[in-house]
Amino acid sequence: MLRTEGLTIRFGGLTALNNVNFQIGRGEIRAIIGPNGAGKSTFFNCVTGVLRPTSGRILLNGADITGLSPNLISRAGVARSYQITNILPNATTMENVRIAAQSRRHGWNMLRHYSSFRDIAEKAESVLASVGLAAKADELASNLSHGEQRNLEIGIALATEPQLLCLDEPTAGMSAAETHDTIQLVREIAKNLTILIVEHDMPLVMDLADRITVFHYGEILAEGPPAEIQNNPRVLEVYLKT
Amino acid sequence: MTKRDKIIYWTGFGVIVALLIVAPLVLPPYWSRFVTEILIWGLLAMSSDVLIGYTGMVSFGHSAFFGLGMYGAAAALLMVSPPNLILALAFGLIGAAAVSAFVAYFSTRLRDIYFAITTLIFSQIFYVIIFTWTEVTGGENGLSFRRPAFGIPGIWTTPFTAETLHWFVLALVVGSYLLLRRIMHSPFGMVLQSIRENEPRTRAIGYPVERYKIVAVMLSGLFAGLAGVLYAVQNRFAAPDFVFFLISGEAVIFNVMGGIGTLVGPIVGAATFLLLREGLGRLFGEQFPYLIPLGFIFIAIIIFLPQGLLGFMRRWLNK
Repeated sequence: MLRTEGLTIRFGGLTALNNVNFQIGRGEIRAIIGPNGAGKSTFFNCVTGVLRPTSGRILLNGADITGLSPNLISRAGVARSYQITNILPNATTMENVRIAAQSRRHGWNMLRHYSSFRDIAEKAESVLASVGLAAKADELASNLSHGEQRNLEIGIALATEPQLLCLDEPTAGMSAAETHDTIQLVREIAKNLTILIVEHDMPLVMDLADRITVFHYGEILAEGPPAEIQNNPRVLEVYLKT
Repeated sequence: MTKRDKIIYWTGFGVIVALLIVAPLVLPPYWSRFVTEILIWGLLAMSSDVLIGYTGMVSFGHSAFFGLGMYGAAAALLMVSPPNLILALAFGLIGAAAVSAFVAYFSTRLRDIYFAITTLIFSQIFYVIIFTWTEVTGGENGLSFRRPAFGIPGIWTTPFTAETLHWFVLALVVGSYLLLRRIMHSPFGMVLQSIRENEPRTRAIGYPVERYKIVAVMLSGLFAGLAGVLYAVQNRFAAPDFVFFLISGEAVIFNVMGGIGTLVGPIVGAATFLLLREGLGRLFGEQFPYLIPLGFIFIAIIIFLPQGLLGFMRRWLNK
């Protein structure tokens, strides 16, 4: 579904990603792990168009999406959540999701009141229900708890009806209970789409992911099913050293 | 909005419009004319609220849009005899739209202060062109012309009186308000507000942010141009002073005073500012630098009402 060929990005003298050949199949849950600075977020930024790769190609369902702007990549079917919560703080939970749902229809309509579009409202309500925030629909997003904001983050991404969802540490800063709920949520939404997830909690990753890709210094160090990765001597070495 | 909110809102709206309708019948001519002028400046300020309050872009270029509306109307009124109101509106709006499309195309690539400065520079370019191109624009002296008659030329016309001109301006300002309000509450308006809140995120969920900004600037410029046309029709002249960036600055001040992101706030801001200026001028006499106390009042408003006079109603007005 998503494939990168020789993806390389340099910031001045620093090579953040070096010749990354990555592939993920439809319906898969793929985890990306690696020490800090390994290039995980940079990889996400490349795939979602925030950064333009120095060289290499990114293919989505065979179509070249390299260097497209983020809005076009979103339209192509890739959504993401952010490591640092990135929502509309002064809008309600509902408004946050609604604006995302609306990005696929009626975005240029100027003459009808937004609330007259039933399709947008229904989509937004169903997304809020699926991320467990239906009860907080009219709450200002800035008043939500950290965990709720993280789930709203996923909700905004879901409302754009993606084929591929990139989750950048969705459980960052969450309590154990919240983490558990969010992982359940990820499992639930994974039934209908492909998921790429950066996560630090190892037991959790081992349990959740179909396959794991390990990044190290901007390169892919190893890739395989969780059991294999767990026993890969090179991976162990990297993780023990850092 | 709940049903109760709706009733309160439309009652308030009806009362204010009714007061403005009877204003020229009860006020002395000087003040009646003053109210008409407040409405025109209010329209200019309201148009810039589309950018400042809803899209989060502070424009210092609105004098160019206002001025082009003015000179566009002047061109129509001087070229065709007898002067034609419809043609003046058409010329003014086309002039403002053309200029705002040009400014929008270049300035929306930039953000924040860079956007503000770019719009300011563009408006100053137009000021210099108008100021120096004497053969066409009358240069420093500007252009003066006759006021067109109200109605559709060739079918039915009647000369403007002070009252009918007021009602004509009022109708256009109220119509503009209702239209802009609808647009700001449409899906398009929601995208603008999303850009204001978080531009990268808006782009990441699939909106071509630059295109939305260009349309926002053009929309704003069009209504600023309408204000320019109305001012030209009211005062029967066009002058380069109205293209100078001080006018843009006043539009921003009206917004800050009245409350951004409310559409009516800027009109209230314009009314407050102009009434204070007039009142202080009369109180201290023309010789006194009455702008100094006005400045203190402005600072007090910023400190005690940072959201502006109508800021407290912002969420309610946008429900």
